[in-house]
Amino acid sequence: MEFLFYLGDVFTPINFGLLLLGTVGGLILGATPGLSPTMAVALLIPFTFKLEPQQGLILLGAAYTSTVAGGAVSAILLKIPGAPANIATTLDGHTMATKGEGAKALQLSFLASAVGGLFGVFLLIFLTPVLAGWALAFGPSHLFWLAILGVTVIGTLDSSSVVKGLLSGCIGLWLATIGFDDIMGAQRFIFHPSVSGGINVIPALIGLFAIPQVITMFTKGRSSEDAEVISVERHPIRLAFIEVFRRKTALAIGTLTGSIIGLIPGVGGQIAGLVAYDQSKKFSRESEKFGTGHSEGVIAAESANNAMVGPSLVPLLTLSIPGSPTAAVLLGGLLIHGIFPGPDLFMNYPQVAWTFINSMLIGQILMCVLGLYIAGLAASVARVPHAVMAATVLGLAVFGSYSVQNSMGDVYVMATLGIAMYFLERFGFSAAPLVLGLILGPIAEANFIQGSMIANATVGTGAYFFTGWLNWLLILIVLASVSYSVWMEITARRYTTKDDAVAKEEALS
Amino acid sequence: MKHLIAGAALAMAAMTGSAFADGHADYPDRPVMMMVSYGAGGATDFQARIVTMTAGNEDALGMPIAIVNRPGAGGRVGWNWFASEAEADGYTLGAYNIPHFIAQSIEGGVSYSADSFEPIANWGADPAVFVVGADSAFNSMEDVVAYAKENPGGLTFSGAGLFVGHHIAALQLEKAAGVKLAYIPNNAGGAGAMRAVIAGDVLGGVNNLSDAFRAQQAGNVKILGVFDLERNAEFLPDVPTMQEQGFDIDNASVNFRGVMVPKGTPQGIIDKLAETVPAMFENQRVQSRMAAGGSPMAIMTRDEVLEMWAARQKTLEELLAGL
Amino acid sequence: MTDLPRTQHIAASGLIAAIGISIAYISFTQEPADAFIFPRLIASVFAVLAVWTFVKAVLGRTKVGNGISGVALRRMLPGLGVAIVYIYWAAKALGFYTATGAAFFVLLSLYDPAPHSDIKSWLKRILITAGFMAVMYGLFAQLLNVFTPREIFF
Repeated sequence: MEFLFYLGDVFTPINFGLLLLGTVGGLILGATPGLSPTMAVALLIPFTFKLEPQQGLILLGAAYTSTVAGGAVSAILLKIPGAPANIATTLDGHTMATKGEGAKALQLSFLASAVGGLFGVFLLIFLTPVLAGWALAFGPSHLFWLAILGVTVIGTLDSSSVVKGLLSGCIGLWLATIGFDDIMGAQRFIFHPSVSGGINVIPALIGLFAIPQVITMFTKGRSSEDAEVISVERHPIRLAFIEVFRRKTALAIGTLTGSIIGLIPGVGGQIAGLVAYDQSKKFSRESEKFGTGHSEGVIAAESANNAMVGPSLVPLLTLSIPGSPTAAVLLGGLLIHGIFPGPDLFMNYPQVAWTFINSMLIGQILMCVLGLYIAGLAASVARVPHAVMAATVLGLAVFGSYSVQNSMGDVYVMATLGIAMYFLERFGFSAAPLVLGLILGPIAEANFIQGSMIANATVGTGAYFFTGWLNWLLILIVLASVSYSVWMEITARRYTTKDDAVAKEEALS
Repeated sequence: MKHLIAGAALAMAAMTGSAFADGHADYPDRPVMMMVSYGAGGATDFQARIVTMTAGNEDALGMPIAIVNRPGAGGRVGWNWFASEAEADGYTLGAYNIPHFIAQSIEGGVSYSADSFEPIANWGADPAVFVVGADSAFNSMEDVVAYAKENPGGLTFSGAGLFVGHHIAALQLEKAAGVKLAYIPNNAGGAGAMRAVIAGDVLGGVNNLSDAFRAQQAGNVKILGVFDLERNAEFLPDVPTMQEQGFDIDNASVNFRGVMVPKGTPQGIIDKLAETVPAMFENQRVQSRMAAGGSPMAIMTRDEVLEMWAARQKTLEELLAGL
Repeated sequence: MTDLPRTQHIAASGLIAAIGISIAYISFTQEPADAFIFPRLIASVFAVLAVWTFVKAVLGRTKVGNGISGVALRRMLPGLGVAIVYIYWAAKALGFYTATGAAFFVLLSLYDPAPHSDIKSWLKRILITAGFMAVMYGLFAQLLNVFTPREIFF
C-alpha cells in the first residue's frame, strides 16, 4: 500500500500539468497513423533532460499509457490502427463505425482500456516480485511455441476463408524474411534497394491499412451523396458503462490475456490485442457475430492492449532488462538521471518509482475521461467529406512512414504494400493476418534458431523443444487452437455460401 | 541576351565559389541528423542521445542533432544505408561501433568498409565482460574454461550477435583457452543476451561493461572477467582482466563508439566537425550524465580515431582469417 | 455474379501462385542454406496454399471477394494516378511539403463534389489545403523535428 503514500505527489500543480500534457499529447500522437508508442516516448526523451527525474517519468508514463489507447481512435473511425497493438480493434471497431456506432465503439474502447490498464498497473504494484519470475520463464523454446500459437490465430482471424487467411499470413511471414537475417546477417530476397533494410512493421502497417481506405474513398467518385465518410449516432456514456460491464467474458479474457502476454519480453504489446480478440471469440456464445461490429471484439482487444502496459514494465523495474522497445526507451529516461532500475529501485528511489507508477494509474483514469470526451467529438471528425479525408490520410501516411527512420524507401514500401493490399482485399484477403505474420515471423525464426543452437550444444533439439511443463502447456494450447479452427471450418462450411460471404464482405468494406 | 546568360552564369559561379572558399562558414544552418544502427533504448542509442544533447549550444554546433534509429542484423542495415544512400552533405552523421562494422566488412556480404566512412570523433569505449547468473557455480574464468574442457562445445553463452564486439571477444576466448564453446547470438541485442543469462537459458554470456555493471548492481549477475588490457577503475575495480587470469586476450573487442560522416562529405565540414565535436563531448553536463548512466567515456580526436581504425582493421583481419 | 469476378479471381490468384512458386524456387536455390531454413518452410506453405487458391478460382469455387467493378476502377484511377505520381516521384523530387500540398489540392479538386464553376468552392479548397499543410508543418517539422526532403521550396 506504499503507493498510496506517494499518491499526493502526482497532484502537485506541475506534476499534474505534465501528466495532463503527456496524456493529451499521447492521445494525439497515438491517433496519428505512423507514430507508435515507442516513437512517441522516444520523441519525448529530450524534453525530460530538462526536468527532474520524477517529472520526466510522469511525462513518459502518461504518454506511454495514452498512445496505446489513442491508437484506437484512428483504428475505429478510419480503420487505420495507430500502432500494431490496435490492429484487432479495427476488426469490430471500424465495422461498428460504418454502422453509425462510432461514438459507442470509442466509448467502449476507452472504458475497456481503462479497466484493462488499471488492472495491469495494479498487477505491477502488488505482484511485481512474482511476475518477475514469470517474465524470465520464457526461454527461446517457449517464445517459439508462443509465436506458433500466434500463427495458428492467423487462419481464424479472417473468418470468411481460412485458406485465404492463412495465405495472407504466409505473405506476411515471407515479407518479414526480406532483408538481412537477424542472426546470421545473410541477405535474403533483396530485389530492390528500398527493402535492403528489411520491411519495417510501422510503415507496412500504415500502408496495409491506410492506403486501401484511401483508394476505397476514391472509388466513391465525385458524387455528392455519400460524401461523408461515416455517420455517427450519439450514444450516452451511461449505456457504454452498462455494455462494458455486461460483457464480462470479453473484458476478463482481454484483461488477463493482455496482462500475461505483456509480461513476456519481446512479444508483448504487438500481439496482445490480436490474441485476446481471438480467444474471446472462441469463448463467446455469440462468436459468429465477431467481425460484424460486435461490441465484445472492441472490448477484448482494447482491454488487452492497455492491460499489457503495466506488466510490460515488470522486467525493466525488477531485473533492469527492458522487455519491449518502449521499455528500453523508458530505461534510457531513467539512466539519464542516474537511476538504475532493479530490485532496490523502490528502496533507493521510492519517490521516483512510486510517483511513476501512480502517474500511470491516474493517467489511465485521465485518459479514459479525455477519451470519452473525444468520443463525443467523433461525430464532427466523421463529418469530414471523403475527398478531404482521403487526401489527409494519404498525406499523413507519407509523412508518418517517412518519419519512422527518415527513409524514402519506407515510403515506397508503404505505398507498394498498400496498393497491393487494396487489390488483395477485393479478392478476399485481409490485412490483419498479413501484419500478424509480419510481426510473428522474426520472433518465431530467431527463437527457433537460438533454441536449436542451444539445443545442439546441450540436450538435443527434440528434448529442448518438447520437454518442460511450459513447452507442453503451450503445445497443448496450439493444438486446441488448431483443432477448434478446423472444427469451426467444417461445421461452418454447411451454411457459408458465396452470397453470405459477399454480404459480410459488403458490411466490412 | 547571350551576355545576360553568361553574366548570370558568372555570378552563379562566383557565388558558389565563394561559398566553397569560406569553408562552409555557416554550416550547420539547420538541424543535423545522426543515424544510430541499433534500436531506441540500446546502449549505443542511449549514449548517442546523451553526447549529442548539447549540440544546440552556441559553443557547439549551434543546431540540435536528431537521432534516427535504423536497427537490424547487428548494425548491418544502418551502416549499409549510411554507406550507400546517406547524403554526404554534412547534415547526415552516423554513429560507429568498432569492432562491429570492421569485422562485418571483413566477413563480407555488406556494402561498406572502413574506407566508406570518415571518422569525426570517438566518445566512448565499452569493454566486453564475461557474465554468469548470480547463482551460477562458476566463480572465475578458470571454472568456465574447466567446464568447457570437460564438455567440448557444450558451454552455451550469449552475446549480441555475429561479428560484433561480443562475438570477437568470444572468438578470442576460444583461441586463448584452446577450447570449443557454443556462442549463441541473440536477436534482441545486448539486452536480450543479458536476459538469457539471468533467466538461465545459457550458462554465461559476453556483454557490455555498462549493462553488466547495472545487472550486477541489481544483484542478477556475477562479472568474471574484462576483455581489456586494464581493469576498469571507475566501475569495476575488483574484476580482473582476462590476461590477469592467464588468457592472452587484448582489447580488440572493446566497443568504441563515436561519430562519423559518409565518404565524400566536404573537407571543410569534416574539419569543422572534427574541431567542435570532441569539445562537445567534453561538456560537463554530458560527462555527468554519462557517468550517472554507467557508461565509460573515451574521447578521441579524428586523427586518433583514424589510427585506431587502421589498427583494428589489421588485428581483426588476423583474428578472422583463422575462421 | 457474372463471370467478370471469376476471371479476375483467376488472374489474381494466378499472380499470387506465380509469386509463391518463384519465392519457393529462390529460397531453395540460394546460399547460405542455414539462413534459408525458415524462408524455405514459409515459401513451401505459401506455394501450396497459393496453388490451392488458384485451382479453386479456376474451378469457380471461390467464396469470398467480389473483385473490382468497372465503375469503381474508372473512379479510382485518377486518384490512384495522383497518389502514385506524388509518392514515387514528387515527394522526393519537389520536396515533401510542396508535393503534399499539390497532391492534396489536386485530390480535393478531383473528388470534392462542390461545383468547379464556382469561385467559392476553389477558395474553400485552397483554405483547406493551407490549413492541412500548416498542421503537417507544425507537427512534423516543428514538434517532431523530422527533416523531410525539401528540394525546391522548404
